[in-house]
Amino acid sequence: MKKTKLYYIAFGLLVILNSSCSKVDNYPAPSNTIKGSTIDAGTGNTVQTEVGGSGTRVKLLETSYSANPTPYYFQSMQDGTFDNTKIFAATYKISVEGPFVPLVVTDNVGNVVSDESQNVVIKGTNTVTNLAFKVEPFLRVDMVGTPVFNADSTVTVQVKITRGTANPAYQLDITDINLYVSNTLYDGNNNYDPRYSKLTSYSGSTGTSLLGQTISITTVGGALPQQDVYFRVGARINAGLDEYNYSLPLSAKYP
Amino acid sequence: MKRYIYTVLTILVVCASACRKLDIPPQNIIQDQDVFSNPAGIQAYMARLYSELPIEDFRYSPQRGLNFFWIISPTPATTGEALSRDQTSSMQENFGGWNWDIWGGSYTVIHDCDYFIQTMPSYSKNFSTAQVNAWLGEAYFIRGMTYFGLVKRFGGVPIVNKTLTYVVGTSTDELKIPRSSEKAVWDQVGSDFDFAIANLLTVNADDADGSRANKYVAAAFKSRAMLYAGTIAKYNTTTLFDATQTQLCGIPASAAPGYFQQAYDAAKMLDGVYSLYLKAWSATDKTAQYQNFVNLFSDASSPESIFVREYQYPNSVHGYDAYNVPRQLIGPNGYSSEVNPTLNFVEMFDGIPKNADGTIQNLGSDGNYNLYTNTMDLFANAEPRLRATVILPGDVFKGQSIEIRRGIYTGSSAAGISPLLPAGSRSQYPTTNLIQSATAGQNPFTLPDGTLMNPAGLSGIFTGDQTCAISGFSVRKWLNPNLATSQVLENNETQTWIEMRYAEVLLNRAEAGYELGNAGQNGAGAADAFTIINQIRSRAGAIPLAGGMTIDTIRKERRKELAFENKTYWDLKRWRIFSKEQNGTIYRILMPFYSSQAGKYFFDARTDERNDVYTYDPRWYYEQIPQGAISKSTNLVQNPGY
Repeated sequence: MKKTKLYYIAFGLLVILNSSCSKVDNYPAPSNTIKGSTIDAGTGNTVQTEVGGSGTRVKLLETSYSANPTPYYFQSMQDGTFDNTKIFAATYKISVEGPFVPLVVTDNVGNVVSDESQNVVIKGTNTVTNLAFKVEPFLRVDMVGTPVFNADSTVTVQVKITRGTANPAYQLDITDINLYVSNTLYDGNNNYDPRYSKLTSYSGSTGTSLLGQTISITTVGGALPQQDVYFRVGARINAGLDEYNYSLPLSAKYP
Repeated sequence: MKRYIYTVLTILVVCASACRKLDIPPQNIIQDQDVFSNPAGIQAYMARLYSELPIEDFRYSPQRGLNFFWIISPTPATTGEALSRDQTSSMQENFGGWNWDIWGGSYTVIHDCDYFIQTMPSYSKNFSTAQVNAWLGEAYFIRGMTYFGLVKRFGGVPIVNKTLTYVVGTSTDELKIPRSSEKAVWDQVGSDFDFAIANLLTVNADDADGSRANKYVAAAFKSRAMLYAGTIAKYNTTTLFDATQTQLCGIPASAAPGYFQQAYDAAKMLDGVYSLYLKAWSATDKTAQYQNFVNLFSDASSPESIFVREYQYPNSVHGYDAYNVPRQLIGPNGYSSEVNPTLNFVEMFDGIPKNADGTIQNLGSDGNYNLYTNTMDLFANAEPRLRATVILPGDVFKGQSIEIRRGIYTGSSAAGISPLLPAGSRSQYPTTNLIQSATAGQNPFTLPDGTLMNPAGLSGIFTGDQTCAISGFSVRKWLNPNLATSQVLENNETQTWIEMRYAEVLLNRAEAGYELGNAGQNGAGAADAFTIINQIRSRAGAIPLAGGMTIDTIRKERRKELAFENKTYWDLKRWRIFSKEQNGTIYRILMPFYSSQAGKYFFDARTDERNDVYTYDPRWYYEQIPQGAISKSTNLVQNPGY
């Protein structure tokens, strides 16, 4: 009786030990880095965007793996820089997609007309830290001065919108100019307070006629609450995925 | 020793008898001949195919997909037709969750159609040619519907018109069929429907009640599909090509007139076969027009119903009433009022006092609220179709007056009541002079004359929970007025879903005709469209058009007529106006208040008190191909932006 029990225990131990004999065949975790920025070719500033799915993103094609690889994307940060520290060592064809003239231009029957992607080889432990893509944003949105609190505790910002490209295919009408209000820095079409933000859609050339002028936009919904607040203006044309070009987010001190 | 020999001998005998080759078909698996050689087998095959048809019925929502019972994020709450407490923003369809395998599921149905199409002819000797052709027509119809369900979501998808056989151990490369062009898929849909039109009988011999396809059903869906393709060709701006210059997203604009013409011709085939439901209608009686529009959705013999999905307890059921009855008629499950029509939707209809900009006129010329004895007084002349679509505050349903009241205003009314909030304000209502209720458990308020009144109506609006008419309206369409409240349960209801009715075919024809008129190919198209819109309007009890029709007139009529039938979602998508309508949009609501001083009601029109913002991302016009599908079939190219 006692002997049988011992056998069972021994057998159980054997099973457990055996099952742990499998070889570890995991690929080492990716540890290389790709870091860089999307830069306005005209001004040298990074191109402002929004965080999340509707902002600038980086497209990697791992050409050392396959001639026709499934793309891998990661999002840019709001200020137009990007940094991914979990990249496998490989050869990549890299481009960025966002509210600017595309780097890979395709004509209306699908032929690639121009391709300004960059090929990058990442070997061993090296990192790429200064990848710069010079792009032409659809629009440049610049705040003029700082946001000003009015007597009724609403806020007025002044903004100037100009075209960032002379490419004739992107001289389209402005469809929206929005003043976004948020109590975080991450202020944009995907994150704003609808009570105070002033959204304006334009049809025809009404919005376009505001190009180059300093325009004033005031928050709606009465007095702003006394807390941290950031203001950012976004504008867009109906091109690509209708993404917004943004100004820098600015805060204002409650008087 | 002897015994040993016997044993060996016995074993040998036993083994030898087992040497016969085993070639009888397994008895526990249904064979082709069991299915294809008798009508009952074919009916069983068809029953499954029909149950998998991708139609957005009572059991569909973008959140949880097709054939799912739990509909608390209803489709109308994604389109601006309604607000719902459980759906608070724009959304694309959620293929990832709730086991909705749109890709694998659709290709399974396509495989089953292809298998039927390949196998049926070899069993044709058992049946008449007409029978075989009709069944083949049904298989083509279902395949066309399934491709339609894919192409309207993804653009170009792989076209697989044969069953694929995989031999274990061989390469899978041949199975990795790349996406065809969007145009090729729409043409595939068109040709499948054409085959169905040519081979189906005018009345389905197996089921004549509209639950199975006939020639005209196929023609009706062809008109819907070709109109869809035409509008994509005309209005879509997103394009995507693969490495071989196949246009996966978008159709060349030059193809638009051809598709509109096909839509027009297909719709015209139904002329004189089906008709608008007018059984209880009277030209002069608004109540009759209202009742007629209500009956249209429940009369099994309606000449307007073209293709329906039937339900049967307990095998196939839904819970539309349980989710959508007004709060005061709540069923035992505890659900109610998931679909609350927006003021934006209600303002599209005739017979309501309106301002010059089309918004409801709730203020007098002095800027103060207009006062009404009953909440229904504002809607005294409302278009009958509106009453049949939306329960207006104070209207009668199931013998009860549906009481919708935001609160009791106790301020002075002597000099008129000025608006509670400045125009356009998105703030909460000021609580001074306002008695309101957080939940349905209410503390009655004593009015100046000593009578008691609950602060909120029996169907809302409650400030604390949203199980009420949060927009000031409740949905009326499809609700069964004869269902006892004890039976208003999930998975208990069996009203028929009308997927295709003649009014839609007429509206398809009008839209296609008008678009053709614009394209300069068919001058009569616009005139035909004008006649049709007035036919629809007259049945609805709306004011007939005098002239000045634009494409927006036709679209608006379509949105009113087909509201809450899960069609508007696709219309906004194919017109490519979803992202313009839902661009930081907060929908409007209409709040009835009772003034205790005046003893009368007034209405406040404002934006949704919850400040729910709707923003439709233009990427969603083409849905994301499920990542799992790409992993399995690496030749699939993802849609733009995902």
